[in-house]
Amino acid sequence: MSLEDTLSEKSCQTASIVTVEAAAQARECADAEAQTEPPVPLCMPTVSQQDSPRLAAFLRRVEGMVIQELNKNRQSHAFDGFEVNWTEQQQTVSCLHTLGYPPAQGQGLHVTSISWNTTGSVVACAYGRLDDGDWSTLKSFVCTWNLDSRGLNPQQPAAVVEVPSAVMCLAFHPLQPAHIAGGLYSGEVLVWDMSRPEDSLLWRTGLTDDTHTDPVYQVVWLPVPRHSHRFQLLSVATDGKVLLWQGLSAGLLQLTEGFALVVQQLPRNTKLKKPTRGETEVGVTAVAFNSFDPSLFVLGTEGGFPLKCSLAAEEAALTRLPSSVPLRAPAQFTFSPHGGPIYSVSCSPYHRNLFLSAGTDGHVHLYSMLQAQPLTSLQLSHKYLFAVRWSPVRPLVFAAASGEGDVQLFDLRKSSQKPTVCIKQTQDESPVYCLEFNSQQTQLLAAGDAKGTVKVWQLSTEFTEQAPRETEDLDQLATEVAT
Amino acid sequence: QTEVEETLKRIQSHKGVIGTMVVNAEGIPIRTTLDNSTTVQYAGLLHQLTMKARSTVRDIDPQNDLTFLRIRSKKHEIMVAPDKEYLLIVIQNPCE
Repeated sequence: MSLEDTLSEKSCQTASIVTVEAAAQARECADAEAQTEPPVPLCMPTVSQQDSPRLAAFLRRVEGMVIQELNKNRQSHAFDGFEVNWTEQQQTVSCLHTLGYPPAQGQGLHVTSISWNTTGSVVACAYGRLDDGDWSTLKSFVCTWNLDSRGLNPQQPAAVVEVPSAVMCLAFHPLQPAHIAGGLYSGEVLVWDMSRPEDSLLWRTGLTDDTHTDPVYQVVWLPVPRHSHRFQLLSVATDGKVLLWQGLSAGLLQLTEGFALVVQQLPRNTKLKKPTRGETEVGVTAVAFNSFDPSLFVLGTEGGFPLKCSLAAEEAALTRLPSSVPLRAPAQFTFSPHGGPIYSVSCSPYHRNLFLSAGTDGHVHLYSMLQAQPLTSLQLSHKYLFAVRWSPVRPLVFAAASGEGDVQLFDLRKSSQKPTVCIKQTQDESPVYCLEFNSQQTQLLAAGDAKGTVKVWQLSTEFTEQAPRETEDLDQLATEVAT
Repeated sequence: QTEVEETLKRIQSHKGVIGTMVVNAEGIPIRTTLDNSTTVQYAGLLHQLTMKARSTVRDIDPQNDLTFLRIRSKKHEIMVAPDKEYLLIVIQNPCE
């Protein structure tokens, strides 16, 4: 028997395993809301003693490197002339708004004063007359425009308050965006709430023995000492009195403190012209508070000499003016006079000793609190100068309003002799009476003129951006000009 | 402790130095030559910025690490020397 064996070859092969690389990532989304809270001032924690050995070791490690970098930085010229522009550059000064109130302009009223409110979006102007006119029967207006509102109509103010006597000066409240104080030709001081046009009068001094007997040229809001959220009003007038008012009851402003300037009590460090017979009061036309020392202020006078004064002065004033509170003599130092009455003073927000004054002699004087003679004297106009203000952002810049109808911007960095920019506000050379920088929107400058128009100017970037080392340049200017 | 004060005094007395402070790992200032509110502001903000700078460097190259941070601004220069436990912050006004 035979068996056949069959052999067959078979092979098998597994197919190659197909591998594919893929990555997957689960993405998680989370919804979150963020809200900033007002920063809580942290107190410094007490220094723990155990940290000291590790702290000492750390400082030992880094000291060498840090000192090396400090030295290299000091000598480096790597960044000389290197400037970065973060904002869009505005090359020229342009007029953003031309505002006016036709009924007031129709009566030939002038804009006597301007004020920006605390948020920087509302500008108020006062109408009156600053030249010969029938003062006593003239009605006056206080108008406000909200520049940030969409319905801004330049010829129709958002709020108008009619005032029976000419308003000479305005000042918005430092915290309340709608409260504004005004000083009148009659000597009264009033405070209005512009958000209630039908019933706007909040406070008034009334016409009492305490009230000024002459036009009030300037009002200023001051914090009440030890009560940081309450404010009092300071008013100055040509009757020689500087008065402090607080709203204490039923809409009446009450006199809390007062000062009176009398010729015999002026500090004799500067020789002044002998006063005309019988004249004992020193008419005050302007006031500015020092940005570094809140009790120090400068007064501009009809005699043309600025006075350094203090709220803390204690000497009694030799005056026979009636008053419910004792009047004190505030003057501590008399500065060398202008050639005519001063209309405006402004203290530098960046230097504790520098202030500017401008007056009818067409000159602006830059004074240091430390000496009687001005550091420099610039003739800006052949007519009167009505207002001078330091810029709130550029230490070396100030603006002046002239009787020739222009707003002059001075940049002491560029030139100490002539204005950098001269903006023509009025076409017929009628005077510009007032101007104010906007501290919140720093590119805005408002100026009011004799035609009853308020123009809001947008300044070029060179006037709104501080140059590096500008504060040091201002310090240097103050010391090098003082001899 | 006096060694710490001496070292900080040496750094503070260098030309142009406006302020010196040491901040711990939580961002709390433990030594300073400036006033409270300024110190707290610098400490908090720079601590966050230093951590961000460090993670930026390490994300680009995990073998790398932050050794020094300098911020140059219009008015002055801020220098931060970082470490595991502390930050040394020096603010200098470089002369012309």
